[in-house]
Amino acid sequence: MSEHDRIRELLALAAANALTAAEEKQVAEHVRSCIACSNELEAWQPIANELRRLPTPQPSSWLVQATLARAEAKLTEQAEHDWNRRVMIAVVAFAWLLTIASWPVFHSVSGRFGSLLEPQFSPTQFGQTWISFAAFTALGWLAGGVAAVMLAIRQRGERRLA
Amino acid sequence: MAVDADVVRLRRGDLNALSELITRYQNRLYRYLLRIVRQPAEAEDLFQQTWLRVVEKIRSFDASRNFDAWLFTLARNLAIDHLRRIRPQSLDEPLANSWHSETVADRIPCKDHTPLDHALAAERRTEISEAMAGLPMMYREVLSLRFEDEMKIEEIAQVTAVPVSTAKSRLRRSLEQLRYALEARYPGGTWQ
Repeated sequence: MSEHDRIRELLALAAANALTAAEEKQVAEHVRSCIACSNELEAWQPIANELRRLPTPQPSSWLVQATLARAEAKLTEQAEHDWNRRVMIAVVAFAWLLTIASWPVFHSVSGRFGSLLEPQFSPTQFGQTWISFAAFTALGWLAGGVAAVMLAIRQRGERRLA
Repeated sequence: MAVDADVVRLRRGDLNALSELITRYQNRLYRYLLRIVRQPAEAEDLFQQTWLRVVEKIRSFDASRNFDAWLFTLARNLAIDHLRRIRPQSLDEPLANSWHSETVADRIPCKDHTPLDHALAAERRTEISEAMAGLPMMYREVLSLRFEDEMKIEEIAQVTAVPVSTAKSRLRRSLEQLRYALEARYPGGTWQ
């Protein structure tokens, strides 16, 4: 490809101000000495100018308001969701803490505190203790789970009504 | 690049920042979507969807990056998905019939001095609008981003997810196609 052809390919982009500084310089130097390319560059200018002057269609104020309302509702919903998630994490962490802390309390109340460390500790006794403890914990978790599900259903219903 | 304060506030869940951003970008975004899908009702729907997607994804957006390019990329992806679903052929094919719907903005007089100048300018705008609307989607898009949104080639490349060299050659081809369309539609006119 000759220099002339290469520059000619850049003329549309020159009218669009989309050339690098080096390319701009090459085009400027070339069109000074080439009438054909100079005319061609001139022919591109009205097209580029009219494209820049095209009227901007504007969205209706109703559309903007409706978009804002929907986006705000979504943002609020997301914030609420985040808050619920943080609360859920805190509640789960607290529940685990409570479960772990209740282990020695449970043993202390049932008079078996420290039995695991005793040399005469029997696996049967450990099994019974473990089953009662597991049942006690599972009941707590079940109640918590049911409450969380009920709360979520209620919130969803309220959101739908809103 | 300066970090956009409204974007940072929106990331924290500030409703006022959302309002500021919608107000700031409403015209550019709506125009871009309208250039892609060509139907005002579809552009309106996509406009809403784009802002909902912004709210959904804003926390994954790096505030030090270019928000314009990110916003237009979201809008573009939604528009292309929409076109693929509704009118897959419209992604490549030019418009069959002559399309131009005059809006209020079209009737706003510009800085022309005489009624004749005004009439000629309005005619040229109509001609170029119609010729542009008849181009394939990727050419309309790149023309709109360069001339109406005044994006740099690098930004256009980012929005359209192509290398800079591809964006540049696409812009050149779109201008050539537009010129051919103008010359074919209006032989002997001011475009030759």
